[in-house]
Amino acid sequence: MLVALASLAAVASLSAQQAPESPSTLALSREVKDVFARCSKAVVKIEATDQHGDLSGTGFFIDPMGTLYTAYSVGGEAENINVEFKGKKYPARQLMADLRSGVALLKVDLASPALPIGNSDQLEIATPVVAIGYPLDLAETPSFGMIAGFDRKCFGGYFPTRHLRVNLPPQRGEGGAPLLNLKGEVVGILLYTFENNSCYALPIEAAEKLRSDYVRFGEARYGWIGTNVREAPNPVEGSRAVTTEVMKDTPAAEAGLKAGDIVLQIGRTKVHEPEDILEASFFLTAGDAVPITVMRGNEKITFQIQAELHPTRLAAPPTLNRAMPLNLQSSPEGTP
Amino acid sequence: MMDEFNDSEIAKLLRLKRYEQPPAGYFENFLHEFHRRQRDELLRQPIWRICFERTRDFVSSFSLSTLTSYPAAVTAVLVCAAIISLRIYQTPQPPTVAVKDRPVMVVPASTEPEWTLASPVATRVFNTRSLRNITESAQTHRSGTPRYVLDSVPVSYETTFKF
Repeated sequence: MLVALASLAAVASLSAQQAPESPSTLALSREVKDVFARCSKAVVKIEATDQHGDLSGTGFFIDPMGTLYTAYSVGGEAENINVEFKGKKYPARQLMADLRSGVALLKVDLASPALPIGNSDQLEIATPVVAIGYPLDLAETPSFGMIAGFDRKCFGGYFPTRHLRVNLPPQRGEGGAPLLNLKGEVVGILLYTFENNSCYALPIEAAEKLRSDYVRFGEARYGWIGTNVREAPNPVEGSRAVTTEVMKDTPAAEAGLKAGDIVLQIGRTKVHEPEDILEASFFLTAGDAVPITVMRGNEKITFQIQAELHPTRLAAPPTLNRAMPLNLQSSPEGTP
Repeated sequence: MMDEFNDSEIAKLLRLKRYEQPPAGYFENFLHEFHRRQRDELLRQPIWRICFERTRDFVSSFSLSTLTSYPAAVTAVLVCAAIISLRIYQTPQPPTVAVKDRPVMVVPASTEPEWTLASPVATRVFNTRSLRNITESAQTHRSGTPRYVLDSVPVSYETTFKF
């Protein structure tokens, strides 16, 4: 009898301990509702036609003049693009589409609400995030999840820059949807699904780099200095990225960079391993000078190198209207 | 034998048997008892044998010359010819009925959700129904439903550590 009473008391105390979770859950739910109420007005459904037929995706306004971001697969190679906003459809035109990052910049001629741009560097593992998209033929839909990782490599290849892995259940039609923090700021763009309940988002800084390029040059201008890097057997000053080749008549050769130099820093990005080179080089802009610090022997040297447009990009045909693989599950294209 | 029983002994026996009498009513019931035992003996045989013997007795009651008369033979031939001609006339009908029945079988196949594969006809009907559904579905997809975009792989990736 005493044992039974003790058990009942224990169960009652456990229930009492679990009860305080409810207010926090309600508070979180309230925050998500608030984000959805404030931000869903700037999220639009995008319908277009490409060589495979009609398509439907998601986009979001980033300024009050109708400029919006979406995924390259939605607005990169499509025609007859229409944006559904406040129950009406408006024609949209493409400002820029970038295969490397996987985003497209569109423009609709109307006054629009805009989502504030956040900072993905402030995200941490398990930071709660919200995505708002148009799954299938349904209305705008919020999805709640959390940051699960910051990956540079997946699917057997390297991303052009660090991507946000989000434990959030994405659905078809949500390509190009904004990833928001609980302040309602955009921290990423939903691009790829990953397994069943996860997805990858491009950090908003990467998309903003492209928008900056568009504003300055009218196109994406990835910088290039002309070196190859591989992993060194032993770290030097905390870095394993060693230059293996400096190509002739390139900015790196003209600045004096040599094979065997250990790369320590590119711009504001500290380099610890070769993968960090990708992160840094993505944000290089052709025409801009960037400080590059290397370790040569026991000497630390900083070069000011003006990046150039990649030679293959100079000779390559425009990426617009390039045929996408018929099978969307096939291997992705490589970029220079 | 005759040596063992001489005339004197036989005479003695006859004298003894002279006073033996059947039970009362024996001769009155004799015929009835005889028929009863005959029926019992008859019912011990199987039915088919009884029928056979009855039929044989019935036929044997007629003379063979009557059965083999000319009119009877002609009648028998006519009856056989009529039966055979009816058989031949009805033989092509089953294929005709089967061909007409096949579309009748297809119609319910398109309306009912499930079919068993119990017979080759059912298998054929099942295939027809399946192909029709695929065609209609493909046309519907091409004309109405858009492709809802969310890629499963990146549109590009980096190949080497060049910058």
